[in-house]
Amino acid sequence: MALFEATHLHKRFGDQVVLEDVTLSFEKGQLSGIMGPNGAGKSTCFNVLTGHYKPNSGTVTFEGRDITGLSPRLIAGMGIARSFQIMNLFDEFSVLENILVAVPQSIKRSFNPFHDICGNSEAIDKAESILARVGLKGKENLIASSLPYGERRALEIAVALASDPKLLFLDEPTQGLGADGTALLADLISELKRDYSIVIIEHNMDFLFSLADTISVIHWGQVITTGSPDELRENEWVKASSLGEVA
Amino acid sequence: MDIILNLLPHIINGLALGLLFALIALGFMLIVGVMELINLAHGSLFALGAYIAMTLIDPNIAGWGSFGVWYMELSLTLRYVIGLALAPAFVAIVGMGLEICMRRTYGKKAEYGLLLTFGAALVIEESIRIIWGSSEQFLPVPEMVSGAFIAGGMIYSNYRFFAAGFGIFMIALVWLFLEKTPYGSIIKAGAHDSEMVRALGVNLTVLRLMVFGLGASLSAVAGVILTPIWGLRPHVGVDVVIPAFLIIVLGGIGSFWGAVVAGILVGLVVGIFGAYASEWSLMSMYILLIIVITFRTRGLFGKKSALEN
Amino acid sequence: MNNALAKPTPIITKPMIALFVMLGTFPLWGEAVGLYHYLGVEIVIWIIYALGFNLLLGYTGLPSFGHGAYFGVGAYAYGLVQLGLIESVWAGVLVAVIAGAVAAGIVACFLSHRRGIYYALMTIAFGQVFWFIAMKWHTVTGGEDGLLNIYRGTLSFGVFDVSLRDNVPLFYFVFAVLIIVVICLWRLVHSPFGKALQAIRMNEMRAGFVGYNVWLIKWTVFMLSGAIAGLAGGLFAITQESAYPDVMGLHASGYIVMLTLIGGGFVSFWGPVIGAIVFFVARDLLGSITETWLLWYGLMFMAVILFKPEGIAGIWQDLSKKLSRNQKQNAPVVSQHVKAGE
Repeated sequence: MALFEATHLHKRFGDQVVLEDVTLSFEKGQLSGIMGPNGAGKSTCFNVLTGHYKPNSGTVTFEGRDITGLSPRLIAGMGIARSFQIMNLFDEFSVLENILVAVPQSIKRSFNPFHDICGNSEAIDKAESILARVGLKGKENLIASSLPYGERRALEIAVALASDPKLLFLDEPTQGLGADGTALLADLISELKRDYSIVIIEHNMDFLFSLADTISVIHWGQVITTGSPDELRENEWVKASSLGEVA
Repeated sequence: MDIILNLLPHIINGLALGLLFALIALGFMLIVGVMELINLAHGSLFALGAYIAMTLIDPNIAGWGSFGVWYMELSLTLRYVIGLALAPAFVAIVGMGLEICMRRTYGKKAEYGLLLTFGAALVIEESIRIIWGSSEQFLPVPEMVSGAFIAGGMIYSNYRFFAAGFGIFMIALVWLFLEKTPYGSIIKAGAHDSEMVRALGVNLTVLRLMVFGLGASLSAVAGVILTPIWGLRPHVGVDVVIPAFLIIVLGGIGSFWGAVVAGILVGLVVGIFGAYASEWSLMSMYILLIIVITFRTRGLFGKKSALEN
Repeated sequence: MNNALAKPTPIITKPMIALFVMLGTFPLWGEAVGLYHYLGVEIVIWIIYALGFNLLLGYTGLPSFGHGAYFGVGAYAYGLVQLGLIESVWAGVLVAVIAGAVAAGIVACFLSHRRGIYYALMTIAFGQVFWFIAMKWHTVTGGEDGLLNIYRGTLSFGVFDVSLRDNVPLFYFVFAVLIIVVICLWRLVHSPFGKALQAIRMNEMRAGFVGYNVWLIKWTVFMLSGAIAGLAGGLFAITQESAYPDVMGLHASGYIVMLTLIGGGFVSFWGPVIGAIVFFVARDLLGSITETWLLWYGLMFMAVILFKPEGIAGIWQDLSKKLSRNQKQNAPVVSQHVKAGE
């Protein structure tokens, strides 16, 4: 059984069908990719998988448990974390505080008035190690909004890592990054890949083909095909579409 | 049947009140739509309009010299028309002045605009106190719309019919403006997307200034018409801005017909409550709001708005 | 302690001591500078009220425009206990806190899934409902006049009693309450709960995705803020020896927003304290010069919003930043809420 399974998802906005019978599964320890042209329903798919939208029908299971329609908070509590395509940081917090509010040590104690998270060395050590991991060591006291774009993107991922996720969803992580930034990010993700199960939505094909174990292609709200990068290179649909050019 | 007949005067009162509420709310909504700003000074502009009209209709002419004598010889009806026309114009200028102050807050948190207009409301209200005093004032109306008649054993006030008719007339004007003029379509577009307004090649700065002036003058017109019913006190602005705010949310932000329907609904509820429990009549609209918004987050006709975030 | 990056928050800080010393000695020097003891009582009560309010406005970013309601509920609760149940200051204050918390807790059920202007509007609507009830339910609230002849009473400590009839013992009573409130709130805003409040202000959606129960946190902070407003209202009923609907109206609710903002509630824990002091001293100073002090106060408020929305505390922070920058170059920019009040 796969770590995360979505079966027969349908999602409509009014009359518009955005997802039609989408079935996906992500294995533990793998990096899975979802790709497709802009407007293909990737983002909606992502938002349904992570609880931001409720599907009109279909089920989502995680570790064998049905999580369809649960709130983002409950889904997060089960060990699924996500980053956002549009930057979603706590802008006025420092880099360190952004991680500190997101570590389980804080969340668990969110109604404990006697705890001082800035005096919890366990939480701080953990935040430190996450920041070191994404390359933000030494920037702990900078305000999040003052960081350059690429570092904000790294912090975005670090906030998602803070909750010790069993499964990490990354929504278009290369969005807005230049070639250098994308290369750095690829290094970071291939490093994270060793410890986390990851799902990435991307339209940057080079990036995804170099990292993913399996890739699902979504077009017009449907899963066209799923396979390893090598298999996809041979796939007729991918070849025929512009997607094949980069592969 | 008897109940309906007995209620009829209250329903007419409610209808007149509701149509004027809707008019205030529409001015308020134009500003919300184009600038995504809650104008808490809207009620104070209403009060200011009424006070200026009062001064124009029934001035203290000491120191005006021969012009004052000539002016007072004009008929009350003529002076009323002058007041009804000039007061909104003055208030439009004040509103535009406020918009110019507002410019510094654009692009910042939405709360800052709201707080600035709260400050402006306080300043306008205090200025009214300084100029006209704190006591209750009286706004004379021409004879042709005053008085009352009796039908079916119930007393009907002529002025309520005039107020309701004028309310319908003004709402129709606003509708024509929004539907039939290029400005209207831009304002409606702006209600959803200010980038689109820019793409249409409209000068957003001028548009905002005009909309603020227009919204302020609608509020002032309603002030002149509603004052003989509600009385004129410096803090009448607060009594008015809250219902207007409430009607917008009740009807759904950005919806013209939502505001009209909600205005009439609130007027009727207040009017009918007034028949049975006059003490509590004004509270009824808050209860109405809480009930509606609890079940319909975006009001009766509302769509998603940028202001929710 | 292994880390210099994030220091544990001290329970007592220098600005706290400065505030306590300044207010604690007020009865000694207040009259010498032309103020009077009763003003001190009023200021301390409004500081309590404003600190509680700022949990909502400054920390969580939730604009409540009807907060006078809970202040008023506290005042009426205190009065009703004194007049109808038992003449005990302790019991009255306790009931005032509970009444404020219950009223706010009920309202918060309708509010906590809302944001932005819908939130503001609902707070106004509920505030007006409470105000109407206070005005119209004559048999309980005394209508427009309110509850009169609430005795100030005597604080009973078991072994000895303190009469609150005089303004100086009353001042020290409310001051003692303030000390407790300040220390508790300071602790609260530096706990994970306080961080969660700020996280919700900055990015409510992300806070949910990170795993916070946003609804419950918003509900709790409104209820807490209402409880503190109820406490302040109860103390106000003692000092005024009455409870009346004025404090619940839209104007009174607006003043608390204004003074919290002018002081700098958005950037500092101490903003509301500064704001309350400035508001009442301005009222007395401007009020002694001109009848129309509210006009000038309103203009000042507009100027603050236009030119320095971070308020007086923001100006102070800019100045101290400039000073420290002159001392050592390249000082790192530190999150304002962390720095505030150190």
